[in-house]
Amino acid sequence: MDSISGLLGGFAALANPETLLYMVGGFLIGTFFGAVPGLTSVLAIALLLPLTYSLDVTTALVACASIFMAGMCSGSITATTINIPGAPSSMMTALEGYPMQQRGEGAKALGHAALGSMIGGSLGALLLMVVAPLAADVALLIRTPGKFSLIAFALIVIIISQHGSITKGMIATLLGVMIASVGIDVVQPLARFTFGTSVLVQGIDMMPLIIGTFAISELLVQADSRSSRTVDPSLIQAAKVRRRDFIPPLSEVREIGVMRYLKSAVIGYAVGILPGAGGSMAAFVSYAESMRSSKHPERYGKGNPEGIAAAECANNSMCGGAFVPMLTFGIPGDPTTAIVLGVLVINGLQPGPQFMTQQLDLIAPMFASLFVSALILIPLTLYLLGPYFLKIVSIRRDVLYSSIAIVALVGSYVATYSTFQMALALVFGVLAYFLRKQKYPTVCLLLGFVLGPSLEEYCRRALSISDGNPLVFLTSMDSLFFIALTVVFFYFMVIRKPKNSGLGAPPG
Amino acid sequence: MTSKPSFKQSFRRSALSGEFIVPAALSIITLIYLISAIQLGPPMSAGNMTASFFPIATAIVMLIALICAMAHALRDKAKAPTEKTVADIESSDESAPSRQYAGLSPGAIGVIILTAGYLLTFDMIGYFVSTFAYVLLLSGLFGGGFRDKWLTKLLAAIVITIAGYLLFEVAFQVRLPTLWSQ
Repeated sequence: MDSISGLLGGFAALANPETLLYMVGGFLIGTFFGAVPGLTSVLAIALLLPLTYSLDVTTALVACASIFMAGMCSGSITATTINIPGAPSSMMTALEGYPMQQRGEGAKALGHAALGSMIGGSLGALLLMVVAPLAADVALLIRTPGKFSLIAFALIVIIISQHGSITKGMIATLLGVMIASVGIDVVQPLARFTFGTSVLVQGIDMMPLIIGTFAISELLVQADSRSSRTVDPSLIQAAKVRRRDFIPPLSEVREIGVMRYLKSAVIGYAVGILPGAGGSMAAFVSYAESMRSSKHPERYGKGNPEGIAAAECANNSMCGGAFVPMLTFGIPGDPTTAIVLGVLVINGLQPGPQFMTQQLDLIAPMFASLFVSALILIPLTLYLLGPYFLKIVSIRRDVLYSSIAIVALVGSYVATYSTFQMALALVFGVLAYFLRKQKYPTVCLLLGFVLGPSLEEYCRRALSISDGNPLVFLTSMDSLFFIALTVVFFYFMVIRKPKNSGLGAPPG
Repeated sequence: MTSKPSFKQSFRRSALSGEFIVPAALSIITLIYLISAIQLGPPMSAGNMTASFFPIATAIVMLIALICAMAHALRDKAKAPTEKTVADIESSDESAPSRQYAGLSPGAIGVIILTAGYLLTFDMIGYFVSTFAYVLLLSGLFGGGFRDKWLTKLLAAIVITIAGYLLFEVAFQVRLPTLWSQ
């Protein structure tokens, strides 16, 4: 009963005008960043991170949740209208949305995308509220050796889910682990890898790494482009949409079916719980399953609303699932939840099994924000701003990237009032630029950085309590479970790879 | 059509590609990291892991992965079509513009130099002057120079500088350095 009243209290917290303002503001920022090709909601949350030093933690989490939800659905706008997915999670939507746009049904395709996002996002948030407390109870059973094996499982799954190259995923992850090891040792009071400088004794903060990896590297990548606007204005003229066309016909919604929406939401949620999978994987798996089980698979790829509904429902449902491992185990599975973890750490909070019960009043508004963003803000934004979306996202690049640079760099300064953090952000930005150019997954770098210290700490503590006997990882049942799970995942994802379904690999 | 390159030529052009250079540079960093880790002391003491165990293990696995990545790069480039010249290979990176310097495009070099300059002057001359100059120059870089719409760029630089001040100093109470506070 306490948890139910706590969760309801989260909705009541949204009635606070300041919190509501941050939720709506965050949603609009997330919509913009998700819709502009090249920008992502991760970048929006990364830019918000420095501001959380001055914000109340609940307000910051509410804003993060609404940005996350908005970023997942808004990528479908440019994916449908001009065939340029605003975010990787909208690539499947482009496959069906753009053919509909070409036959004059672009607004209807956006309506289906919004409806799918609305249903998926709401169900994902509800599932989060139901499953997270149960997962927290299970997490209490995991002891030190099990925690090590769980983090190792998360890191290995993140690496093997990199379809480009597992070697590159491993290199990026280990690089993150190496960066995280700079500073005071996790067990003893001993400074490591400071190279005689005092500034490195405190270690490397998460903020310059996030700002560098997601903001500065984006500036360097975009500096290569020659166009003056984010979206070519000539494309906008050809893609005009009217407000009244946005509502999808009931006959088409019935044809898609309630079960399709439910199934896609569950798939998206389950994929979200897996480390390293993310929205693009959720959309891909759900789309592939939808095509496999459809009565009319021949319609796919030619502008089928069912494919849009499946992909958008899953990638928004993923938002709820992604929070489960972060809140209950302290293990973020994707960059957004890693940054949200950063928000909690900045405010002196450490997620774990008891976090859900002890700090429910702080995180319940975030759950409520996810739910309200999906149920109300997605359709409302589409209806009010839909006809102007393309004009909004076609912004002058000089203004956009100069503004991003200032928010990113001055934001890095905020943490310690030192230009050293800004310099670190630049260094990590250049490093991430080179990694991105050679297709090394920078998400792995961030997750290696976040999870590396815990991996080392639990490994050393487990060996310490077992007098240095490594067999403790096999004799402890919780640890053995995660080792077995790792073997199962490795077998199915690496040794016995799923055969090509004709769709190619999921978008990275 | 060009003649088939020798092993030496194909090795040289493979080694010049970013696919090889990135893991090679990371190998040097990892070696320095490994040496520093070894200097921390023995990895095990009285049957327990010490502060150096994990970094040494990480560095060794990293080096193995980097060697694999470099071997892949050499093997893949050796298999690549022989018609390509060294210049083609050098510029074959993702979204590469016409010319690259140490793997960086002129635009990216410009951003790095401007940002480094901004960091150097931020504390020295304060937020307003350094940010205005940085935004103006960055607008020129992203907007294709100052020949077109220079007045718009100037106005944009002023507006962004003031907006940044309002966001950080006024809304979020972050004390920014000023020229007169130095």
